[in-house]
Amino acid sequence: MGSNMAECHPVAFRWPMKAKLNGAKLIHVDPRFTRTSAVADLHVPIRAGSDIAFLGGLINHVINSERWNSDPFFREYVVNYTNAATIVSDDFKDTEDGDGAFSGLVQFTEPQFWPYNGFLGRYDNVSWQYQRGPKGAGPATKDLIARRAGPPFDDLVRSLKPGPAQKDPTLQHPRCVFQLLKRHFSRYTPEMVEQICGSPKDKFLKVAEALLESSGRDRTSAFAYAVAWTQHTYGVQMISCCALLQLLLGNFGRPGGGIMALRGHAAIQGSTDVPTLYHSIHGYMNAPSALRPHDSLRDYLAAETTPTGYWGNFPKFMVSYLKSVYGDAATAENDFGYDWHPKILGDHSHMAMFSAMNDGKIKGTVVVGQNPATSLNGTATRRALRQLDWLVVKDNWLTESATYWYQAPEVKSGEVKVADIKTEVFFFPSTQIAEYDGSYTNTQRMLQWHSYAAKAPGDCRTDSWFYHNLAKRLKKAYADSTQPRDQGWKNVTWDFDPDAGEEPLYPGEISARKVLREINGYVTGNPAQHLPGFAALKDDGSTTCASWIYCGCYPAWDQNLTARREPDPPGVPGAHLKWGWAWPANRRVMYNRASADLQGNPWSERKRWIWWDPNFVNPPDPKTGAATPRGKWVGYDVPDFGANKAPDAKPKPDGIGLDALSGTDAFIMKGDGRGWIFVPAGLVDGPFPTHYEPHESPIENLLYKQQMSPVHKVWAAGKEWNPLAAFGDPKFPYIITTYRLVEHYLAGAMSRWLPWLAELQPELFIEIGTGLAQEKGIKNLDWVVVSSPRGQIRAKALVTDRIGVMNVAGKRIHHVGMPWHWGWAGLSTGAVVNDLTAWVGDPNVSIHEGKAFVCNVERA
Amino acid sequence: MSDTFFTASPHWTWFIIPYFFIGGLAGGAYFLAALVEWFGRPEDRPVVRTGYSVAFWGAIVSGLLLTLDLGRPLRFWHMLFQSERFPHLMFKSWSPISFGAWAILLFGACAALSMLGARAEEGRSQGALAKALSGGTVLGKLVAGVGGLFGFFVAGYTGVLLAVTNRPIWADSPWLGALFLVSGASTGAALLTLLGPGRGASERSLKWLASFDSRALVFELVILIAFMVSLGSVARVWLSVWGVLLLLGVVGVGILWPLRLHAKPAGAVNAALLVLVGGFLLRAVTILASSGIEFHRVAEGAMR
Amino acid sequence: MPEAMGFFTDTTVCIGCKACEVACKNWNELPSEDGGLRELSGDSYDNTRRLDGIHWRHVRFIEQFHGAYEGRWLMMSDVCKHCVQAPCLEVCPTGAIIRTEFDTVVIQSDVCNGCRDCIAACPFGVIDINHVSGTAQKCTLCYDRLQVGLEPACSKACPTDSIQFGTIAELRARGQKRVEQLKSQGVDAYLYGADPGGPLGGLNSFYLLVDKPGVYGLPESPRLPTRNLKPAGALSAASAAVLGLLALVGLRKQRMDDMAGTTSGGTA
Ligand SMILES: Nc1nc2c(c(=O)[nH]1)N[C@H]1C(S)=C(S)[C@@H](COP(=O)(O)OP(=O)(O)OC[C@H]3O[C@@H](n4cnc5c(=O)[nH]c(N)nc54)[C@H](O)[C@@H]3O)O[C@H]1N2
Ligand SMILES: Nc1nc2c(c(=O)[nH]1)N[C@H]1C(S)=C(S)[C@@H](COP(=O)(O)OP(=O)(O)OC[C@H]3O[C@@H](n4cnc5c(=O)[nH]c(N)nc54)[C@H](O)[C@@H]3O)O[C@H]1N2
Ligand code: SF4
Ligand code: SF4
Ligand code: SF4
Ligand code: SF4
Ligand code: SF4
Ligand SMILES: [Mo]
Repeated sequence: MGSNMAECHPVAFRWPMKAKLNGAKLIHVDPRFTRTSAVADLHVPIRAGSDIAFLGGLINHVINSERWNSDPFFREYVVNYTNAATIVSDDFKDTEDGDGAFSGLVQFTEPQFWPYNGFLGRYDNVSWQYQRGPKGAGPATKDLIARRAGPPFDDLVRSLKPGPAQKDPTLQHPRCVFQLLKRHFSRYTPEMVEQICGSPKDKFLKVAEALLESSGRDRTSAFAYAVAWTQHTYGVQMISCCALLQLLLGNFGRPGGGIMALRGHAAIQGSTDVPTLYHSIHGYMNAPSALRPHDSLRDYLAAETTPTGYWGNFPKFMVSYLKSVYGDAATAENDFGYDWHPKILGDHSHMAMFSAMNDGKIKGTVVVGQNPATSLNGTATRRALRQLDWLVVKDNWLTESATYWYQAPEVKSGEVKVADIKTEVFFFPSTQIAEYDGSYTNTQRMLQWHSYAAKAPGDCRTDSWFYHNLAKRLKKAYADSTQPRDQGWKNVTWDFDPDAGEEPLYPGEISARKVLREINGYVTGNPAQHLPGFAALKDDGSTTCASWIYCGCYPAWDQNLTARREPDPPGVPGAHLKWGWAWPANRRVMYNRASADLQGNPWSERKRWIWWDPNFVNPPDPKTGAATPRGKWVGYDVPDFGANKAPDAKPKPDGIGLDALSGTDAFIMKGDGRGWIFVPAGLVDGPFPTHYEPHESPIENLLYKQQMSPVHKVWAAGKEWNPLAAFGDPKFPYIITTYRLVEHYLAGAMSRWLPWLAELQPELFIEIGTGLAQEKGIKNLDWVVVSSPRGQIRAKALVTDRIGVMNVAGKRIHHVGMPWHWGWAGLSTGAVVNDLTAWVGDPNVSIHEGKAFVCNVERA
Repeated sequence: MSDTFFTASPHWTWFIIPYFFIGGLAGGAYFLAALVEWFGRPEDRPVVRTGYSVAFWGAIVSGLLLTLDLGRPLRFWHMLFQSERFPHLMFKSWSPISFGAWAILLFGACAALSMLGARAEEGRSQGALAKALSGGTVLGKLVAGVGGLFGFFVAGYTGVLLAVTNRPIWADSPWLGALFLVSGASTGAALLTLLGPGRGASERSLKWLASFDSRALVFELVILIAFMVSLGSVARVWLSVWGVLLLLGVVGVGILWPLRLHAKPAGAVNAALLVLVGGFLLRAVTILASSGIEFHRVAEGAMR
Repeated sequence: MPEAMGFFTDTTVCIGCKACEVACKNWNELPSEDGGLRELSGDSYDNTRRLDGIHWRHVRFIEQFHGAYEGRWLMMSDVCKHCVQAPCLEVCPTGAIIRTEFDTVVIQSDVCNGCRDCIAACPFGVIDINHVSGTAQKCTLCYDRLQVGLEPACSKACPTDSIQFGTIAELRARGQKRVEQLKSQGVDAYLYGADPGGPLGGLNSFYLLVDKPGVYGLPESPRLPTRNLKPAGALSAASAAVLGLLALVGLRKQRMDDMAGTTSGGTA
């Protein structure tokens, strides 16, 4: 659900197919009958954008089902491993009371210095907190900050510890999470699902039953999603809704369970771990921000550290990171250079930046490994590019983004004159992945080292070469600046040239290994002494580590674990611990403490993964040599838990980090050690997933007065390059979604230029149902014009019953869909589908709503 | 749907169609010439000689067309010798295209010899061999006999070749060989009728040719009907432009009309012309109608 | 002589990803039609349409729907069947088509002269001319890879093991098991071409199908072309004889008329 795995992750799809041959049931919920549906046991059509209603319906069905209420497994798991029993503050008001809005909704006003955050509204989440007992004694945080206490920062962290959350293990308390949940989803009935999603009731119930049947002690079920669940104005909520369902079904931390986020670009997982993201720094630490209380290192740590659970070690991660950035210049006295670290002003994501570009706020842009001219609201994007003084495109092909200034539709049509475009465009031919060494991080958080297969042709350079040499020049440029704002650049350490004896792959090329060493981390002052894992990190600057989550992938100078290729033999459970290396700490299943029951025994033989061995004899304490108590977590995987923490261990009263959690608190990254059914913090759009309509929809919200998410994002609102259709606009009666084909790759540069792939899907098309085709007199292969408020494009019609009419909210609604791979460059060319899409997106991660909007279709 | 509908077209078109036509005609002509060589009267000699030269030139043109049609014409000899193990012969008694290649070669050889004899007869060549072959000699008769049989073989094998495939129409009936063979004879006779006078063929020889031609045409019509019937359900393939051509062109222009003309005195020449047209069309439509299935297949695809 | 090798293609796990098609072109360095500049075929997701001289693998897409979202989408990766009794091999006049030690059927491009009789002979429409070489070409079952102990490129690339490579004996066993599994799930699946007693002595590339062969563009009962040799030959010979007679009868009649003519002359 939420992905077309067979077409977009065909190689990974090998495993679902293997499971199917072994008797697993495969279900595909998609607005189209795709190549995944073709091999699934059941395909359920769903209207684009309505997944929360569908998942909510499943939740409602599950918690009221006979099986869920009779099998003790579910209750044991939910009461002890989730926050179902936790009691929520009295101030919290649910959407049931607020007609679709939660308590705390306030106006959002754009700050003058960066008016590109796009929020419609904003939630103040104070009312979403747990009901807590009195806070423990000890020095107040602000005093510690004032005193510049630490390192070590333990006291600071301890001072953040809130009072104990109140719970009701009977789940009866009217304000306990479970009761709130029950009420929140009570209206998500199968009938309602059918009305909102257009999914036939009988098919919906088949899904619900299948999930219940294959969840429990001896069975688990898993979800696989990708951008069908992200490209919405409430994408993150779709995913958390699924997570919520999986928690209720006891499907987390167990083999064959969980949610598989099928990532996109090769190594895009890596690009969020060691981020190219604006809002986070390495290892999912929030980027210092001008909008948050991040004035000093201690303010930042106080604001960002969750004192209990593993995140309690946050200061160690942050300080080790700063040491990696500023090296020797980073000292305890100067807060390890924290003040030099750039701060974000707000939303600097793709659409925010291009809005700013459109307003002439950005002078130049470097486009590397991206093709923006076709990949999001093309017309607006290309307009933005025309406002630049200079543009650098570094690619393997002369993409649309490199040629927009003389080949774009608006230039061809004469609407825009080449002469009027002031932008100077530089093109840098790039190498391909097979032409340099490095590591991939795939969808399973697994790092795999790869060596170059061939040398690049001509003058192609690697991206690392580009940035490496750019950085060196910048450092030179700032070398003798006395400006405070340049001190960051002056003090940044930049040492990636190959060591003596190491041959660079290309002249001036970096050593990729050296980068991975830096990411893994080492004892400050001794780069040869790698850190064995993030447990070794310190908050006093004695350790240097760029990305704490990757710490341990290169535990010794000569041990690049990411290069391992040793699969488990056939027949064994197959954690494949010796194949590559997966963060964190080479764990393959996260939160795997939950694969065992409270006493630490496997839930069942079939689903055994890790378990507590009470008789395990531990080696004596290395330092004191004193004997250590028996007992250890053992099994097929690396335990995601204190290796010797007994199931009956109690939290330490004034403990921080893991010490604050008990032997059954399996979700160690969470402050309360529980899987979150109710999300008190971290999401900007509500503690419970709630069904809203896409920004553009012909359907009114059948559940609440609130039509669309009250806090989602709209950029360039009211600007002529981002017009939006009002609810039920008759000019755009059809629902359209956009997607991929197995034959092509994204904006197409990597496939439309290759004859072998181009011939497989030679032209852009729109998939329309036979019903609409008849109404409009459109025949297979006819040219049609597809229009949205942003523009109109031509495509050939592919008339099929794999997509079609749906009965939604008592109306017959036509659903159409288009692959979006085309553009004017390359062998196989076609219109830019993203000339139809809008700059509206998700409030948490700022991804566009490319999966559900409205359009019209006419014969050309 | 016949199993032959799932096959692909060999794209045999504008070299092969004339080849089948000329080969057949040459074969037919040689056969008739040989027949007269054996059983004819002195005054029929001009017809015999005409037959020989038609056969000779026909064989040459046929060989040429066949070769030009190949994807790799220079490898024509691969059909006669094993390319890796030259000079081992390449011969498959069960593959018409294989033994057919040999047939044309030998047919051509005989035709050449007979032609030589004919030239001697006309006093246009003097060589000993020529003399030995000329008019009525035992050797001449022998060569003519063998060549005549090869003649019919060449005329007929083309049809058998089509039958020994898996293509629609061709492989759906065993009658094509017979049909082409008879058409070869009728067209052969027709051409002799046309060229004969130029070589001083006698009235009576021509009358004989004409009477033979009309008999052959009737026989051809019978076989054509047998062929159609044998196609069974596949016959519906003829519901196409090719079917119309078959009916009007081959049957109408190529068989019935000539028969009417033969009935009249002095209609023979026009009849002969029409028979040639009909004979050519017969080859054309049988080959093209089969490829018509391609469209059929594609259309079916698009409909899915 | 090694054991007979071939393919078992389980169409029920094919996801239509065309990796096999591309892997084949990649390994065999086959060009694309019109350098990749084609038109949308409109036939579901199939834009290469058929096997030919530059498409030695081809994935079929068959949409069987009755109303929106109601139905199924069959996919099948087609290829040369490497017939045990191969029609193409039977007719080839140059001996270009050979049977290898792996019991597969291969066209030797350096021997073929492009006569195209094999194209007409193949019951499955597998072969066509490769216009680059001017010769007939088709799947070689990666003869070059097999000779060095490698698996064929297409089956190696197939992510779902829809294409399985192995010894025929083993593959037939696997195929049978899969058929039974599907039958137990109520799917009426069957093997096409796995029966050594069946058409063409069995196909060394056989398939698991869930609908009639015709639906997948396969003949019900493919046959050898030479089945027509004897009848066609006999009929030709017979008609030759008839023609001979007709001709002689003609001559004879003229003779008769002559005689009649002379006697009457004599009485004058
Ligand atoms: N061959 C190929 N593989 C790829 C890519 C490629 O371009 N080509 N791109 C890679 C990248 S970057 C990514 S992000 C992934 C994306 O992987 P996917 O998310 O699987 O790819 P999409 O085709 O964008 O969308 C998947 C399906 O979502 C359906 N859909 C649309 N709207 C909705 C909805 O509201 N609800 C539900 N349930 N389904 C909906 C569409 O019909 C489509 O079938 O693929 C990666 N893999
Ligand atoms: N309507 C609609 N729009 C979408 C989506 C959708 O589903 N619907 N999907 C969205 C998603 S999930 C994504 S990920 C984006 C993708 O959109 P983009 O990332 O803009 O498109 P790509 O084609 O992936 O661009 C990658 C470029 O990098 C080049 N490249 C490849 N390797 C290298 C290299 O080693 N170095 C350098 N310098 N360049 C290289 C390629 O040639 C290509 O031009 O599109 C988004 N846009
Ligand atoms: S394209 Fe690469 S990443 Fe995508 S499925 Fe194929 S192998 Fe995997
Ligand atoms: S399938 Fe066709 S090409 Fe392949 S072996 Fe059989 S007859 Fe020959
Ligand atoms: S085309 Fe080549 S392979 Fe085919 S029959 Fe003729 S010679 Fe043999
Ligand atoms: S076996 Fe080799 S030649 Fe045959 S289809 Fe597969 S890859 Fe192509
Ligand atoms: S590679 Fe396998 S799954 Fe993909 S199309 Fe070919 S046979 Fe089907
Ligand atoms: Mo993506």
